[in-house]
Amino acid sequence: MSRNIVSVQNLSKQVNAVDRESGKTIDILTGVNLEIKYAESVAIVGASGSGKSTLLGLLAGLDEASAGEIIIHQQKLSQLDEDQRARLRSESVGFIFQSFQLLPSLTALENVMFPLELQGDASAAEKARQLLDRVGLAERYAHYPRQLSGGEQQRVAIARAFVTQPQLLFADEPTGNLDKATGETIINLLFEMNREKQTTLVIVTHDDTLAQRCDRCLLLQDGKLQHAE
Amino acid sequence: MLNDIKLGARLLLRDWHAGELKILLLALIISVTSMSSIGLFIQRIEGAMLDQTGQFLGANLILESSREISEEIKQQAQQDQLDSSHVISFSSVIVANDQFQLSHIKAVDDNYPLLSEIRISEQLYGDEVARSHGPARGEVWLVPRLFNLLGIQLGDQIEIGRHQLTVSAVLKYDPGQAFSFMSIAPKLLMHIDDIEATGIIQPGSRIKYLLALAGDEAQRKTFSQWLTPRLEQSQKLLGGTEGSEAVNSAMQKSKQYLSLAAMLSVMLSGIAIAMAANRYGERHYNQSALMRCIGAQQKNIIRIFTAQIVIIGVIGCLAGIVLGYITQLGIVALLAELISSELPAATLWPLFSGFLSGMITLAGFSLPAILRLKSTPPLKVLRDDLAPLSLSLWLVYGLAIGSIISVMWWQSGNLQLTLMVLLGTLVCVLALYIISSLLFRACNTLIPLLKGPWKVGLQQLLRHKQRNQLQLLALGLSMMVLMLIFLIRNDLIIRWQQQLPEQAPNHFIINIQSDEVAGIKSFLAEKNVSTEGLFPMVRGRIEKLNGVPIKETVADNAQLDNALRRELNLSWNDQMQQNNSLVEGQWWTEDKIGKPYISIEDGLAQRLGVGIGDSITFKIVDEEISASILNIRSVQWDSFQPNFYVIFSPDIINDYPVTYISSFYLPKTEKQTLNDLVRVYPTVTVLEIDDIMNQVKAIMQQVSTTIGYVMLFVLFAGLVVLAAALQSTIDQRMHAATIMRTLGASKAFLSRTQFSEFIILGYLSGLLAVIATETVAYGLYTRVFHLGFELHLSLWLYGPLLSSALIFGISRFYMRKVTRLSPARILREA
Repeated sequence: MSRNIVSVQNLSKQVNAVDRESGKTIDILTGVNLEIKYAESVAIVGASGSGKSTLLGLLAGLDEASAGEIIIHQQKLSQLDEDQRARLRSESVGFIFQSFQLLPSLTALENVMFPLELQGDASAAEKARQLLDRVGLAERYAHYPRQLSGGEQQRVAIARAFVTQPQLLFADEPTGNLDKATGETIINLLFEMNREKQTTLVIVTHDDTLAQRCDRCLLLQDGKLQHAE
Repeated sequence: MLNDIKLGARLLLRDWHAGELKILLLALIISVTSMSSIGLFIQRIEGAMLDQTGQFLGANLILESSREISEEIKQQAQQDQLDSSHVISFSSVIVANDQFQLSHIKAVDDNYPLLSEIRISEQLYGDEVARSHGPARGEVWLVPRLFNLLGIQLGDQIEIGRHQLTVSAVLKYDPGQAFSFMSIAPKLLMHIDDIEATGIIQPGSRIKYLLALAGDEAQRKTFSQWLTPRLEQSQKLLGGTEGSEAVNSAMQKSKQYLSLAAMLSVMLSGIAIAMAANRYGERHYNQSALMRCIGAQQKNIIRIFTAQIVIIGVIGCLAGIVLGYITQLGIVALLAELISSELPAATLWPLFSGFLSGMITLAGFSLPAILRLKSTPPLKVLRDDLAPLSLSLWLVYGLAIGSIISVMWWQSGNLQLTLMVLLGTLVCVLALYIISSLLFRACNTLIPLLKGPWKVGLQQLLRHKQRNQLQLLALGLSMMVLMLIFLIRNDLIIRWQQQLPEQAPNHFIINIQSDEVAGIKSFLAEKNVSTEGLFPMVRGRIEKLNGVPIKETVADNAQLDNALRRELNLSWNDQMQQNNSLVEGQWWTEDKIGKPYISIEDGLAQRLGVGIGDSITFKIVDEEISASILNIRSVQWDSFQPNFYVIFSPDIINDYPVTYISSFYLPKTEKQTLNDLVRVYPTVTVLEIDDIMNQVKAIMQQVSTTIGYVMLFVLFAGLVVLAAALQSTIDQRMHAATIMRTLGASKAFLSRTQFSEFIILGYLSGLLAVIATETVAYGLYTRVFHLGFELHLSLWLYGPLLSSALIFGISRFYMRKVTRLSPARILREA
């Protein structure tokens, strides 16, 4: 049990129907059970609307479950309030998003420094430079996101995700906004760095090539985990 | 914590090029600049006015006594470090060339005058020169009229009592001439050391001993507090405001106009700050969601964004007070010609208070946006449609209104005016909201009738109804403030000045005895001098309120009130004077006449804390007489008509010793009439107040010029609000326009669409603004400034048109990119 970094038991998520007056709820996730080991890479695949992103949001503690339990690092998320979950994220979780989510008013370097600065890390700039060098953007420190290509922006995002040395990294369709060739480079980079840093990787994706590179692939269908390979 | 502040500062620096921070800063700077410069200016002008009033007395305080002033008092004045000067004043006959003439003689020591200067000339019709002292021993200075009456020339000898003195100068202006009602024209100035030689002072002579004092406010206060309880029956203490209600009243109104202008610019800047802060908040939802996603706690978010606001606040407020100081110097320099005397230096207080007020405004208007940021759900990074929880409207509006009330009240020191402006604004916002809903609905029915760009423009306006309605409100509100300030400058102040007509009374006659009333009336009628009438005057002191001695009932500060320190002039009348107006209660009807009722001035009633039905006991001569308040009047003190704090119903105090007072206008060329009057009625006293009148006129002029400059601030603030309001929706408008261009709309089509959209928006907000302006103006005119109200037709005609042009112009500036850049680039940058 202690080998698991993530453990999910009977997880459900319901949301209110769009027309609230009907009082109906829609089940997004029902009875999801899942265990993820340290340093494992797991892909969650499924059609649009199957609940992938919702699951990711719940795993990262960004959202609250309707029922069931998520345990990360032996901590039950349901017992933490939003600020405690934030601290957990700050200490051990990194993110990569489909739409990069770089702050437009910050340069590449500043974007990578940002999580460290939030933690009050005095050597933020140095660490950020190292990471940017590692993702091949040594020449791009001072560029703003709008001056970078999609692939470059995602590299910045990868550098930002790894800069705090998280044990758990969540990626939401990391190649979704990129062309095939760029996507592949990004995937290679992601897995290389994952190996180097011994990070646990949880990827939500449509992309079969990406899914196949993972140790394990989970299919989410109609809110249920159908089978695990 | 320190880390969050540093981070906040760093993010702020990096975020600088985003427009809304500049708007926020600009709005803040304008607000603080206008508050501090007006604050400084009011303070300096007020100081100057006080000095000038002092100059009318030639002193700050005057102790008047019919017996020689005791050593104890003189020593106390010395101990309180007040400058002092001794004056003896009496009436006596002077003789020259076998001509006899009753004159008012003022014998002064070497310190006289303590403040201001005496002006004399060395030829009868020569140029004036200023002197900081009175005549030397053996010399006298005479007013020009005495030269004519006695048929003498400079250098001649005159006799006062047993003493011969040389006439060495023509007395043109004596700073002590305006105080109290005691100077009998014509006047003569001599040295106090010559008095003994005249042998005039005998036991029983009617003589006034004056101790004139000058010092700063604290010294004066200490001394008056010491002296007041020790005053004898025969003594009275005259303060700096004595006999100058007109100047005070003008001063008060000036302050109200200036405060009003400052208030409007504070309010406008507040709106601009709120809008900019709101947009700032909206633009940072993503940032704060991301921050929370990567581990920032709510308190970090609050600290980071609060640090940013505080930094902007400090920079903006500091810049504002520096600019405020410079601006104030500029205003003073521009007004140099109008302000006769050197203005006293300002203290740092207005700067400090401007700084603090700026911070409070910023906090009140931007905190809601920040508080909202902290509640951004971190899930927003995955789902863009999520928005932070809305804050309770009570909190948002409570903070904003709370901060603006406190700042406006603090800055103006006038709660009534603050509430009036604010209430007017709130009512207007509500009305504007309703009217704008109706207007939008009306526009909806217009759409099928329109074509091309006009149709698209109007459709765009209506599509985002709620957002545009808010924008319309903001635009309408700022246009309203601009129109209000325009009205104040171009209508209110001019009407105020007109209240003091060219022929406002410039002379008072007092000490008229009952048996002289009929004679003087016919004398004046004969000379074609018109008066409002002769008013009876009985001296009395307030003793008790509702049967309780005044010293026990009234707060300490009110006890320093002139009305309590000295005897009041009480009058009676069966009708109310024209320049008075009832605030509360009714004027007496037939059945109330002859019963103990009084009418009291509203200011005095307020200071005494009395209302209708309360009873006041007066001490007249040695008798006590009680009367109850039937009504409360407001008095237009700057009308230069005789006016009274307390008026009795007829037949109540008629049997006490009474004198009459009147006022009239006499052009400078007909001063001879005064000689005739005094010859026939030698015991009456004529007061020439041309100088006070000129001072009041000068104040009015100063204020109207100053408001002109303040108007510029308000205009700037207004432009910033307009810019903020337009900027808040510019992203969406750009996006829509870009999509239209991508779909093949021509530049010309887009220009015309924008043109129609903004012209309509501008016209509608202008129209709303006119409606709101007239509503607020009605309140201001009738309640605060007591002026008649009429609709302003030109405002209805030009207001909406100007608003259209202004809003179109600003929007052109912001939207210029849409037509200039390629759609691809705009889409990418968005």
